[in-house]
Amino acid sequence: MMQDKDNKLRDRVSQAWPAAGGNEPAFDAMWLAARQRHEISRRRYRRVAAAAAVVAAGFIFLYAQSPSQETYIEVADLMESTYWTAPSDVLLPQREFDIYQDMPAIFESTIPAGGTLL
Amino acid sequence: MRDSDALDNNPHVSRSALEAIHSQVYGWALSRCDFEHANAEDLMQQAYVELLSGNARFDNKSSLKTFVFSVVQNLARSRFRRLSTRLRLVKKYHAEAVETSVEAPEPRANGDVWRAVRALPARQRDVIELVFCRELTVEEAAAVMGVSTGTGRVHYDRAKKALRQRLQHWADEE
Repeated sequence: MMQDKDNKLRDRVSQAWPAAGGNEPAFDAMWLAARQRHEISRRRYRRVAAAAAVVAAGFIFLYAQSPSQETYIEVADLMESTYWTAPSDVLLPQREFDIYQDMPAIFESTIPAGGTLL
Repeated sequence: MRDSDALDNNPHVSRSALEAIHSQVYGWALSRCDFEHANAEDLMQQAYVELLSGNARFDNKSSLKTFVFSVVQNLARSRFRRLSTRLRLVKKYHAEAVETSVEAPEPRANGDVWRAVRALPARQRDVIELVFCRELTVEEAAAVMGVSTGTGRVHYDRAKKALRQRLQHWADEE
């Protein structure tokens, strides 16, 4: 009974449903158009990929060609310097001092600190 | 399925199998595009491109028809999303520039039934189309719509009930 009612409704709906009405495109034409679209997008992808590869290769080539900047210590600079840092002071940079500028001031100090001169 | 015309990027899909379901899929695409033929053709082409490129890969987990219907449905959804975003933007800046009304297509016969179908909510209309007009089972229709079988059944039953009620009501009025 229920099945019959469903079938009747199905028939009525499928009859009422608008058909493509002769405007339905042929499969072959649509398939061909789809293939062309697929080909175009593939070609475009290949072109973009090739361009990206060329840019990457050029970048690598230029980077490999450029001389690397050498870093070195100028001995003269070291000899002229009066700046000294105790190895242990590397961890405590606030204790760095210039031995020629600061030491005489410390030795000649007359400021008492804890019963002795600083 | 003939192996000779199987697609390169989709070995379980053949050209001949697609040709066999072409008119059914076109009908589905047509209703996804508010019965505008140009849009439906474009949607179909796009679906075929997805199959050719292997972006939509069929792995025999369902019937080919269900799979292709799902591809069309997903493409239509994403296209609708894009269009509605554009429409919102256009509306925002040119409030009067857009005509949004789409002419309802002419039914083949029995205008009341078509009117009742058009009045259904979208999902109920979809399940009715898939089961009654495209000859899918409710399970397959649910898969195409991207809902569970249970939800598909609920939409199907409600749609039938609503259709019967409307048609009965209009018949009584006459």
